[in-house]
Amino acid sequence: MLAPALVLLGIFVLWPLVYAWYVSFFNWSFYTESTFVGLRNFRLVLADPVFWASIGRGLRFSVIVVPGIMILAFAFANLVKTMGSRMATWLKVSIYIPTVISGVIASIVFVLIYEYRQGLLNWLISLVGFENQPWLGSASTALLALTAPAIWLGLGLASLIMLAGLLDIPESYFESAELDGAKWWQRTVFITIPLMRNIGLYLLVTSFVATIQQYELPLIMTQGGPTQSTLLPNLHIFLRFTNDVTVGYSIAAALLLFVVLGGLSAVIFRVINSEKAVDG
Amino acid sequence: MRSTRRLTGGLGVVAATALVLAACSGTPDGGTGGSEPGEEVPEGVTEVTFWQTSFTDEENEWYEGVVDAYNESQDEVHITLTAVPGDAWEQRMTAAQAAGNAPDIRTMNYGGVRAAALASEITPLSDLIGAEAWDDLQENVRGSVTVDGEEYAYPMLVEPSAVLWYRTDLFEAAGIDGPPTTWDELVADAEALTNDEVFGIRLAQNAPDMSWSTWGYQWNVAGHLPISDDWSEAMATTDYAPLLQAFQDLFASGALPPADGVGYPDSATFGDGQYAMMANGSWAASQLLNDYPDLVPNVAVAPMPSFDGQSGQTTATLGGWTWVVDGNSERSAEAAGFIEWALGGDTENVVPFFEATQFSKVSPRVSVADAISALPDVDSVNPWNAVIQEEIVPFAQPEPAYPWNVSLAMGEAIEAAMQGTAVEEALAAANEKINTEIANSQLAGTGS
Repeated sequence: MLAPALVLLGIFVLWPLVYAWYVSFFNWSFYTESTFVGLRNFRLVLADPVFWASIGRGLRFSVIVVPGIMILAFAFANLVKTMGSRMATWLKVSIYIPTVISGVIASIVFVLIYEYRQGLLNWLISLVGFENQPWLGSASTALLALTAPAIWLGLGLASLIMLAGLLDIPESYFESAELDGAKWWQRTVFITIPLMRNIGLYLLVTSFVATIQQYELPLIMTQGGPTQSTLLPNLHIFLRFTNDVTVGYSIAAALLLFVVLGGLSAVIFRVINSEKAVDG
Repeated sequence: MRSTRRLTGGLGVVAATALVLAACSGTPDGGTGGSEPGEEVPEGVTEVTFWQTSFTDEENEWYEGVVDAYNESQDEVHITLTAVPGDAWEQRMTAAQAAGNAPDIRTMNYGGVRAAALASEITPLSDLIGAEAWDDLQENVRGSVTVDGEEYAYPMLVEPSAVLWYRTDLFEAAGIDGPPTTWDELVADAEALTNDEVFGIRLAQNAPDMSWSTWGYQWNVAGHLPISDDWSEAMATTDYAPLLQAFQDLFASGALPPADGVGYPDSATFGDGQYAMMANGSWAASQLLNDYPDLVPNVAVAPMPSFDGQSGQTTATLGGWTWVVDGNSERSAEAAGFIEWALGGDTENVVPFFEATQFSKVSPRVSVADAISALPDVDSVNPWNAVIQEEIVPFAQPEPAYPWNVSLAMGEAIEAAMQGTAVEEALAAANEKINTEIANSQLAGTGS
């Protein structure tokens, strides 16, 4: 029974991974004989300040995007729960639309919003008397400007999962708390949030891993600039892959990123223990 | 009123983009030509694949035409042409190379030839293309495709990569007579020309575009390139400081706007009237003549200024395109045969290309250049041709041949300075990056 799954896993996950580790020890080119270079590729990556800066940047980006997604999704799920069913359906559809929009289209839309002289955002802030801002053209604002489309794209799925988790909490808990005089805030802190711990943990890890690996948005909106201020780790690896004569660096960097992400995910799981639901 | 107009403009752009996206979604990459991938290749005929960078419609049509003509002229080889957009080129090419199905023939910049030849990515063509075709090339251009005594690419065209395009009407209105001849003047003019509607100047706006479009200015300001001739040592010295300082001053004053996502080679925003000056290649002529005919009478060209104000100096590199045969191609003889027929043979095959592009490019072949100069209407078709041919091309240097990461280090330094990093700090960072690249890619001693 397991055989088909194992075969597929072997072909599409295990073999490429093993092969990637193998290749990472070579000076690998598509045109000449590969030469064995041992750990040289890894040394190059580890000594490259651009690689470490991109990881740090990815973490900063995630620190804004992931809580943004989680808080907004939680608020949205609570809002939908209070709505009538027709209104709730309409809201769910509209929050989910960004999820099915391609990141490329979202990038183009946000580039237009952030445009310097004709963009929507600068028009809005000009109404309240502010000067035009080069949102994507300045190293100090570009990364921040990318967080908005990242949150927008990630919000739909997170909201629906949050909502499912919220609806899964037995209504009787809230009713008895209400009878005991608990306010909305107390019900949220003492019932909702503890019972959604596993959902929260799942969303935290998946959106963190997805966010730090984001590369479509910076690729299309800023090409990693200005001055590498939006060069997230995957984009850095991708650009090295297309620019370098040999691909050893990019493979080693990708494997190191894999190690870093795996390590961070493990830390998150360790810090926030997953628990079995107590309501059985 | 102004705000409303701006919003309408913004929404107009959104709507236009939506239309473009809708229009694009049904169009295959190969364009509309008669030789797209997937087309039936008759049995017994050798198929040779050819990727061209997608250029203007007129250029793409010439590619389709010459491929169709070759396919009809004989029945042993069938060329299958694919036009790949420039911004997707590296990704698609690397993916194809990794999968082992890179095209047999592809277009390549002069600057890429040496590194590609040293990495065996392309096939030497000296023996595959006849001596007559090689001997017809101008000596310096032939030199740009020669690595260790072997020719690795057949040149198609050359074009200066930096020409100063400026709006005579706006200069007149601002009381400025004539184009700037020094960078100090350029900075001052750009600031004077900037207002709510128009930016003073358009230069390359991001590090990758700055990396190659500023080669000519780098030559001019420092008298050398940022790496020693034998590629053993970085030379991103403070000699380059005035160039970085100019970018910093222009950006700080608002005369040079933040990046708008439009690549350096595209002159659309200048055509739309958003700029008083623009640095762009000679190829911009073709776009301006075709798409912005109303603007043409108000546009003039001049060499990009020098830093010391002397005329007749290098301020541009002579870039352009060659055709190369993939290093792993099993049909290299057939591929080279097509290149020789299309680019190196009958001048009738190539002259239409230069006509279609309004003589905004120069042929590296003596016989083709002669055939073009015999045409009666070159200067009336392209009003800027004479200045470009006489004041810019003779002083332009060939593109440097060192690996891209070296150029990128300089591009990143210029961008960093533009964004406010101290000039000396930016140059020191570039110098370190170049030295790292020399060590990592083992460049020392491999230079030309």
